[in-house]
Amino acid sequence: MVDKQQKRWRKILYEDQSVPDNYVDSSFLDELQKNLHTRKYDYWTVCEQSGEVTQQISSLGLFVVAYVYMENGWLSPHTLFTITTTLTCIGYLLKVYIDHYYQDTTSNRTLLDDIKTALVFAGFSYGLSPVLVSLTETISTDTIYAMTAMMLLGNLVFHHYGANAALVSEALSLNAGLFASVCLASRLHTTWHSFSTVTFSIEIFGLWPMLRRNLRKHIPQTQRWLTFLLMIITSMLLWTFSTVAAIFYITLFLFITFICPAWLVSLQPLKNNIHGPWDEAVIEEKKVS
Amino acid sequence: MSNCLSLRRHNVCMVSDFFYPNMGGVESHIYQLSQCLLEKGHKVIIMTHFYGDRKGVRYLTNGLKVYYLPFPAFYNQCILPTIYITFPLVRNILIKEQITIVHGHSAFSTLAHETMFHARTMGLKTVFTDHSLFGFADASSILTNKILQFSLADCNHVICVSHTSKENTVLRAGLDPKEVSVIPNAVDATMFVPDPSKRHPGKITIVVVSRLVYRKGMDLLAGIIPDVCQTHPDVQFIIGGDGPKRILLEEVRERHELHDRVIMLGMLEHRKVRDVSQDRACFSAGDILINTSLTEAFCIAIVEAACCGLQVVSTKVGGVPEVLPPDLIYLAEPND
Repeated sequence: MVDKQQKRWRKILYEDQSVPDNYVDSSFLDELQKNLHTRKYDYWTVCEQSGEVTQQISSLGLFVVAYVYMENGWLSPHTLFTITTTLTCIGYLLKVYIDHYYQDTTSNRTLLDDIKTALVFAGFSYGLSPVLVSLTETISTDTIYAMTAMMLLGNLVFHHYGANAALVSEALSLNAGLFASVCLASRLHTTWHSFSTVTFSIEIFGLWPMLRRNLRKHIPQTQRWLTFLLMIITSMLLWTFSTVAAIFYITLFLFITFICPAWLVSLQPLKNNIHGPWDEAVIEEKKVS
Repeated sequence: MSNCLSLRRHNVCMVSDFFYPNMGGVESHIYQLSQCLLEKGHKVIIMTHFYGDRKGVRYLTNGLKVYYLPFPAFYNQCILPTIYITFPLVRNILIKEQITIVHGHSAFSTLAHETMFHARTMGLKTVFTDHSLFGFADASSILTNKILQFSLADCNHVICVSHTSKENTVLRAGLDPKEVSVIPNAVDATMFVPDPSKRHPGKITIVVVSRLVYRKGMDLLAGIIPDVCQTHPDVQFIIGGDGPKRILLEEVRERHELHDRVIMLGMLEHRKVRDVSQDRACFSAGDILINTSLTEAFCIAIVEAACCGLQVVSTKVGGVPEVLPPDLIYLAEPND
C-alpha cells in the first residue's frame, strides 16, 4: 500500500492508482498555458496603422466639405468634377504603375475595360442625374441631414479596414456612402451638382480606398505621410467654414492616432487567454484532392 | 430493509436533455448508470424532454421509469432556458417520486441545470456529470462557462469522465478541485467480445463509429479516406453513425468511386455496435478503429473497440491519451 502511494501518480484512467476519486495531484493543471498566440503591440506601429481609420474619416470629411462648399456657392460643380476626375486619373496611373512594378495583377482587366466601365458609369449617372436631383427633394432638409449622418456613420462602421471581422462589408459601406451622396445631391438643385456629387462619392468611397489599400500593401512608407496630408487638408478646409467642426475633427484625429493605441497597449497585460489539452483542434486547410 | 447504513437506498433522478431516442455517449451513459444503480437496489427515474411522439411516462428494462416532459427542444436538442416554467412540473415529480438525489448530465443540457437548481431550492442533494470539454476563447464559450459557474456554485458534487475533463471543468466553473471526482466511463465487457469469425479475410477493415459532425473530425476523415484507399488496395472502411457531415463523406465516396470500399451504415443501435444487422458486422468485422475527434473528454468508442480486439488509432486530443494504455492505441496529432 505504502509502495503504491509513493509511486508517482500518472494522468491515466486504465490503472487503479489507489487514490480517491477526487484526488488532486500536484501536477494538476500543469498543461495549462496562457496567452500562447497573443501579438505583441508596438506603440508607434499601432499609431501608424491607426491611419487606416483616420484616412477614411478624413475622406468622409472631404466629402462633407465639398457639399458645404457647393451649397454655399464657393465651388462650382464643374470645378469639383474637374479636380476629382484629374485626381482619379492620377490615382489610376499610380495603380497601373504599382500593378506593373510589383507584378500584382489579380485580374486580367485591360485599360480598355476600365475606360469602358468609367464611360458607362459616367453616362448613366449623367443621364440619371435629373432623377437623382429630385429623388429626395420632398423630404425635409433636417431628415436629409440626419439620414446622411447615419449613412456616413454606416460607411465608417462597415468599412474594410483590413481586419476580417463579421461586421465588415465593403458593399454595405460603399452603398451607405452612395446613399449619403444621393441624399445630399437633392439639396443642390442643378443636375450638374447631383452628377458631380455622385461621381465624387464613387471616387472617394469606392476607388480611393482601393488605391489606399494598394499603396499600403506595396509602399507602406507612404502611409504616415498620406494620413498626415489628408489630416492637414481636411482640417484646413473645415476651418474655413466651421471652427467647431475643425477642432472636433482634429481632436478625434489625435484621439484615434495617439490615445487609442496607448489604450490598446496598456490593456495588453490584462489579456488572459487559457489554452490546454481540452482545446478543440483546428484543422489546417491542406489540399484535399 | 437493510439495517446496514452503508446500504441505504437512494431515490435518484437522472436528468438531461439528451436521452433515447437521441443517440450518443451521454445517452448510453445515463442508461447504463441507471441500470447499474437499479441492480444495486436504488430507485432510479430519468427526466428528459419529449422527442416527437415519445412523450409522457415510459418504462424501460428493469422498470426504469422515464419522464418525457412536455418542454419542446429549442436549440441543439435543449429546451429553452426559462427557470420558472419548469419548476411546477419538476417539483411535482421530485416530490411524488420521493427523490433524494438529483443527478444532472451534460453541461449543454438546460433541463439538467434547471432541475438541479430546483432541487437545491427544495433542499435536495445534487450531483452533476460533465461529459464534454469546452474552450475559453469565443463569446459563446464565455457565456456557457458563466452559466455553468452559476449552476455548479451550489452543486454538492461534480463528476468528470477524465482528468483532462476535470481540469477543464474546474477552470470553467471555478470549482474547488477537491469537489470534483474523476470516474471514467465504463463498458460492459460482456457485450463487447472479439469475434474473429466475422472478419473479412484478406482485407483490412477500418471501422469508424461516431456521430458524423464537425467536432468528431469528419473533415479529417474525409481527407484521409481517398489517400488510404489509394495507397492500400486491401483496405475497406465501415462507417457507422449519422449526422450533418454524412453528406461530405458520401461526396468523397462518390468522387473517388469508392462505393465498394466505403460502407456507410447510418445510425447504429448501441447493442448492435458489435454486431450490426447480421452480416454487416461492425466492430467484430473490423481490424482497426479510427477516431478522428477534434475534442473528446473520454471517447467510449475506443474502449469498446479495444474490448472487441481492434487496434485503435486516434487523434491525440482531450482525454483520449488517458483512456487506453499505449500498447492498445496509436495516437496522432490532429494536424500531422
